[in-house]
Amino acid sequence: MRKPTSTFLGAGLLAAATVLSASLATAADGLEAIKQRGTLIVGVKADYRPFGFRDPSGAIIGLEPDLAADVAKRLGVKLELVPVVSSNRIEFLQQGKVDLLIATLSDKPERRRVVQAIDPQYYSDFVNVMLPKKAGITDWAQLKGKPLCATSGAWYNKDVARTYGAEIVAFDGSEKPLFALKQGNCLGYVYDQSMLQGKLLDADWKADYGLPLKGILDAPWMMAVALGNGALQGLLETTTKEWMKSGFIVEEEKKWGIEPTEYSKAMHEKYKNATN
Amino acid sequence: MTPLPSTAGDLPVLLPFRVSRTRARFTLGPVRAWLLGAWLAGLVLVMPALAQGPDAVLSPLQVILRWAPLLLTGFAFNVAISLVAMLLGTGAGVGLGLALVSEGPILRRVAWGLTQFFRNVPWLVLLFFVMFLVPFQVTVFGLRVPLPDWIKATVGFALPVMANVAEIVRGAVRSVPATQWEAAESLAFTRRQTLFRIILPQCLKRMLPPWMNVYALIAMATVQASIVGVTEMLTLTAQVHAAEGGRPELFAPLYGFALLCFFLYCYPIDRLTARLERRFETA
Amino acid sequence: MDAVPNWFRGLYETTGYNFTVFYDPYDWDRYVNGLKTTLLLAVTTILASIVIGAVGALLQGGPSRFLRGLVNGFVVVFCNTPPLVQIFFFYFGLGTLLPATQTADGLRVPLLDNVQWAIVALALFAGAFNVEIFRSGIEAVPRTTVEAAESLGYTRLKAYLYVVLPLALRVCLPALNNNLINLLKTTTLAYAIAVPETLYAVKQIWSESQNVLEMMIVLLATYAVLVGVLVWLMHRWERALRIPGYSR
Repeated sequence: MRKPTSTFLGAGLLAAATVLSASLATAADGLEAIKQRGTLIVGVKADYRPFGFRDPSGAIIGLEPDLAADVAKRLGVKLELVPVVSSNRIEFLQQGKVDLLIATLSDKPERRRVVQAIDPQYYSDFVNVMLPKKAGITDWAQLKGKPLCATSGAWYNKDVARTYGAEIVAFDGSEKPLFALKQGNCLGYVYDQSMLQGKLLDADWKADYGLPLKGILDAPWMMAVALGNGALQGLLETTTKEWMKSGFIVEEEKKWGIEPTEYSKAMHEKYKNATN
Repeated sequence: MTPLPSTAGDLPVLLPFRVSRTRARFTLGPVRAWLLGAWLAGLVLVMPALAQGPDAVLSPLQVILRWAPLLLTGFAFNVAISLVAMLLGTGAGVGLGLALVSEGPILRRVAWGLTQFFRNVPWLVLLFFVMFLVPFQVTVFGLRVPLPDWIKATVGFALPVMANVAEIVRGAVRSVPATQWEAAESLAFTRRQTLFRIILPQCLKRMLPPWMNVYALIAMATVQASIVGVTEMLTLTAQVHAAEGGRPELFAPLYGFALLCFFLYCYPIDRLTARLERRFETA
Repeated sequence: MDAVPNWFRGLYETTGYNFTVFYDPYDWDRYVNGLKTTLLLAVTTILASIVIGAVGALLQGGPSRFLRGLVNGFVVVFCNTPPLVQIFFFYFGLGTLLPATQTADGLRVPLLDNVQWAIVALALFAGAFNVEIFRSGIEAVPRTTVEAAESLGYTRLKAYLYVVLPLALRVCLPALNNNLINLLKTTTLAYAIAVPETLYAVKQIWSESQNVLEMMIVLLATYAVLVGVLVWLMHRWERALRIPGYSR
């Protein structure tokens, strides 16, 4: 290639990329950058009822979007919700696509190594399996050797497979596993208990499926920001404590139709009378 | 295919071989292609309709018609990704191909290594590689340039294009008779002048059909971007499906519609490539 | 044999490069099973697609206009649509529409599971390309040879099997090998329907252990080796079947 052509081409591509991206906001630059930008970008689930799901108009609603809206209100900025799934949420945060992650993220040591967790954790949930009523499963041990649909990237897939000998068939997102379940490609769907409870509120699923097993692997969920984001972390810690104090999360659970968990009630009790 | 003139008394054991395109008696002209497409569409739409329950809300055909505009914009995005990837890949591929035929042994070996690597790794793996390991933004001359998902996916597709184009260029340059090189040398052309003024112009014609073949493959491969989270036609299909209540019997029509769009786009390209191949046949 | 796992564990502790697949037996098992599944998919689809290609090319040269149209339609559709969408169409689309059996408890058991659907979809996809390739090889066999076979009393099928196909195969071998190598690479698409092949296994490992870079290196190296081995095997096959004096 002649030199002038290639440099022209390179410069042109660079200019095009810059122009194209001029309107795209960059995230994860710290609290000041958020205030300057005027928008808080939060990663939430869009397929996990009732924590984050789409309404008919396409907007993402749910318990976690409400929490995100509260944080944005406290910062005095607008809110932008970015849909994430289990297999890409941490990458989105690390890459700076989102400032904050409130996406049903379970607290795990490997995760704490790569993102900054906000303590105290805002929620806690169990792992359970949605099984057809006809299967007659009453104990976790009966799942040995049986195929269970799962969502790729969930931390407990490995544990369930190892401890109970089930065969995990993992798909991306949480829609394909449900289809595979309906088709009969697997016996049940192993996922977070609250999400399964939400699914069972649907008429489709209520009739033939249920949660016969007891929840296991109790794990708290954490909000997360990118590592090194001290100012935002501090603000979120204070916010979480205020939520616990005012019982905001317990109210939200009732609003979205789930039974308030032991954890939320306990945290509300603990912080209700705290002074800090 | 015309057999080579045989030498006196010898019967040719085998005729010269070239993988040429469909020249069967039943060729599918454009009109017939569209009719076949419409028939297939009818099949995938009617079949599940026959399996409908009495309380079906919208028939599959109605669902497709309702969401077709959105799905077609998704398809246009796929086409855009394929065109940009082809552009980037061809540019880089020509450079790499020239390196493959260069005289410097180190450059040739490095180029060969790169070509083999990018040709042998599955395209989906390359896509994952670019999506996960390329940062979300780069700083060039103090200017931060964000790299959105679709740009990374385009680069991910451009890599195998680059390797394939490099091979095509190498094959084409090598297929030019050595006499051309010798004649150029005797006329005191430098190697670079020979390459750019004499050899490459002759190669362009023979590079075109395989190059278009690579384009058709890339255009079909762009759907893999849905696996890594880029919002293109297949992602939209999944979202449309969810928006329509996630009914299982809608899977076949919706994916059938996607198949149809790609078929109607790629088949004319295939026919055009076949025609060009026949026109440029040198034997 | 503890030296290797211990070295990798040490590597993790000192440098932070986490190659769990080498020191964690569960991850290692998953990775090896993934490799086995990839090899299973590759071998079955390669063999099936060669058979489909040979049969399709036979039918394409046959007298029945209906069969010729059918094969042409099949080739045209499968060559010009994305293999990923074909896989989804087969697994999610046809899987729901096809009849299913039931277990004793009344649970639905689909006819084909995801590995089998992947094999079907990939074999048909590669088979369509093979039909084209075989047909070009068959066209390289001179009419005179076929006529000679006919005059010796071979039926059409026997002439195809014993005279035409061996010659056609040797002639179209490079193009066929290219297609089969592409088939090995295309098996990664089975990831999308949760077939536990190499890409799927490695992705599970890196999703759980957060070691994307390391597992990506392992994945790239694995496929470079797998495809390299297949390329070498194909070259050996080509050399073994070479016709003296025909090509360089």
